[in-house]
Amino acid sequence: MQRRFRSIPDLKIHETARALSFSDAALACKLTSMGFLPGARVEMVRQSPFGNAFYVKVDGVRMALRREEAASILLEI
Amino acid sequence: MSGGQRLPRIGVIGNPNSGKSTVFNHLTGLRQKTGNFPGVTVDIKEGSLRLPGGAEVTLIDFPGTYSLYPTSSDEKLVSTVLSNQQSEFFPDALVYIADVNHLEKHLLLLTQLLDLQLPLVLALNMADTAEELGIKVNVSRLSEKLGIPVVFVSGRTGDNMNRLVLEIEKLIPAIGNISRKAFFEMDATEKQVAEAVRLNLGENNPYRALQLAHHFEWLPFLNDSDRATLATIVQTKNFVSLRAQVEETLARYDLFTPIVEDAIQQPQQFPDTPTDRIDAVLTHRIGGPFVFIAVMLVIFQAIFDWSAYPMDWIDSSFAELNSWLQQTLPAHWTTELLTDGILAGLAGILVFVPQIALLFLLITILEEVGYMARVVFLFDRIMRRFGMNGRSVVALIGGSACAVPAIMSSRTIGNWKERLITVLVTPFISCSARIPVYLVLIGMAVPRVRIGGIIGAQTLVFGAMYALGVAAALFAGWTLKRYLKTREPSFLAIELPVYRMPDWKNVGLTVWEKVSAFIIGAGKIILIVSVALWALSRFGPGDAIERAATKAQQEAAAAGLGEAETEDLTAQKKLEASWAGQMGKAFEPVIRPLGYDWKIGIGLLTSFAAREVFTGTLAILYNMGSSEADINDRSENEAKATLREKMQRETFSDTGQPVYTFATALSLLVFYALAMQCMSTLAVVRRETGSWKWALWQFISMTGLAWLAAWLVQIIFA
Repeated sequence: MQRRFRSIPDLKIHETARALSFSDAALACKLTSMGFLPGARVEMVRQSPFGNAFYVKVDGVRMALRREEAASILLEI
Repeated sequence: MSGGQRLPRIGVIGNPNSGKSTVFNHLTGLRQKTGNFPGVTVDIKEGSLRLPGGAEVTLIDFPGTYSLYPTSSDEKLVSTVLSNQQSEFFPDALVYIADVNHLEKHLLLLTQLLDLQLPLVLALNMADTAEELGIKVNVSRLSEKLGIPVVFVSGRTGDNMNRLVLEIEKLIPAIGNISRKAFFEMDATEKQVAEAVRLNLGENNPYRALQLAHHFEWLPFLNDSDRATLATIVQTKNFVSLRAQVEETLARYDLFTPIVEDAIQQPQQFPDTPTDRIDAVLTHRIGGPFVFIAVMLVIFQAIFDWSAYPMDWIDSSFAELNSWLQQTLPAHWTTELLTDGILAGLAGILVFVPQIALLFLLITILEEVGYMARVVFLFDRIMRRFGMNGRSVVALIGGSACAVPAIMSSRTIGNWKERLITVLVTPFISCSARIPVYLVLIGMAVPRVRIGGIIGAQTLVFGAMYALGVAAALFAGWTLKRYLKTREPSFLAIELPVYRMPDWKNVGLTVWEKVSAFIIGAGKIILIVSVALWALSRFGPGDAIERAATKAQQEAAAAGLGEAETEDLTAQKKLEASWAGQMGKAFEPVIRPLGYDWKIGIGLLTSFAAREVFTGTLAILYNMGSSEADINDRSENEAKATLREKMQRETFSDTGQPVYTFATALSLLVFYALAMQCMSTLAVVRRETGSWKWALWQFISMTGLAWLAAWLVQIIFA
């Protein structure tokens, strides 16, 4: 299946990809202030027990994101 | 404040997880004060520091913040203070704490503060771990490029703190005359907006003027006309706040990233650290929640079991002191005031200290090591079902110690609705003030048997009380979720910090701060209630007490009662005739459906100041029976008769039925689990929600629910 964009929830466990842009302005404001910038290397570490959140590493910094939040971060294919 | 010159104020500021509080604690030690309890309206921690030259400065500990563009009420507080020069917390100079291991992410806020034109020193924290990781920093290069002094420190080991203090001293002469070149160059629209704000509101610092335009909708210190002016400026200049925020943030990164890269040498790859291995277990999809439950069980065990030893010791010490005083001092009402009023009140406060201290100790350790952030990640989904946020778990766990600081910890929740629900439901969690009430009532209602030879029936009921609290909190959250509406976005996005050993000095100070705030804040209320209660039960309207005593003696003589029985009857009748007795009697119709008599009524009434007063109240009320008798005539056993035994002997005066049946004790347990009976909590709810509306609403609905549930229990089990 070919798609235009991939976002964080599409990553397999331990897969790494480069973040391109954010599709939600409010979240972009929050994430950039936390140091999550376009161009960052994102590694999927694991899913939360109830499946709604992801444990990711952004340039080596550990972070938890909700599924909706993760889906608003578009990745390089 | 009136009188005296204001000391220079130095703000300590930095990102979350930068080790900011460790540095603050190192600099101020025990010279700190916080406003945790009613009467004090301070939101930010302050401490004092004496500089080598002899001058004293006030240090202000700001909540950890990523940016001046806030997403939580904690961060809003920082923006509010920094955009208002009239604020009583507005700093004259700043110490910026950054984690040297993540400098490339921790300098955004610093560059924003540079543009506020305040004297500033940058402290690179966690020098000790940086060395281990092989990170090297060219401090003078960094200092030169940023145009501010830079010091390498370690908050944990205390290394280089003297250097930092010296740099703080050098900031003082610079107060009020800093003019740097703006770090961030505003675009044309931003410049026009800042200029318009300067002309209309007189804000001369362009970046602070821009802040007003960004945040005018919620900044609390603006008046209506300023707000309208700012709205007009924003509209006419076509200023799109959110987009400008993101663009400014990215522009700042572009400016400071080369500076950091130039000054820092760090290894290319970070090895698989212990944090990853620990998290493989603690945040595991299946294992994670089990570890969490195990951790909660340990905490439960600690407050129920371990703290029993020091509590028993405090309890018996006070009992001994009390009887010694009664024997030594002359029999006068002032002696009674001291023993039955003041001492009983003090015992009621101090007996909690071990429990509260132990709970805060464990919770602080969990926070310090970094586990709480994982809990937020694990339970975000569940909490959202109940109208809350993963961050609410931290408040709810804290609520098992004391709702007041727990409610304050909800400030990290950005979304208004999720935060309000957290504030409203946290008092349902059984706090340590409920424990003594539970202990007395469970001891009476539940036999000391072991079910299946393993777990005690009493322990089981005790656990059930906690479960009831959690269930009530979740149910209330689920209900409120339906009725509250907000358009604010809700975020999880949280950093999971590297695990580290707790800094014991930090832990000790936090526990000390919370325990002393409890003793002073809540203790005051308990002591006042205790003395007032003593007076109300010792005195009555006119000569009612004397008449009741005479009448009781006549009745006893007519019935041919013995000496001890006569005394008990007399004491009982005197209490009934006292002010407290009258109040309890007037209140009895309200609680009679629940199976309670007027003495419990007095206990309930006084509990509305603070729950922990209940056992003290009953102790005072039931002790009245014997304290009138000559202490020397009392047999050893009678003197030792515990409150519990006295309560079991109580009967209703009209029907002669025992008061403390199984159903009544159970119903009282449920009432105490659910009712809102804490003035300190109501005061903090008012402060955190900004109006009495929510505090009042919380009081009425929680107490109403408690009454209904207690009534149901009485009907089912009677």
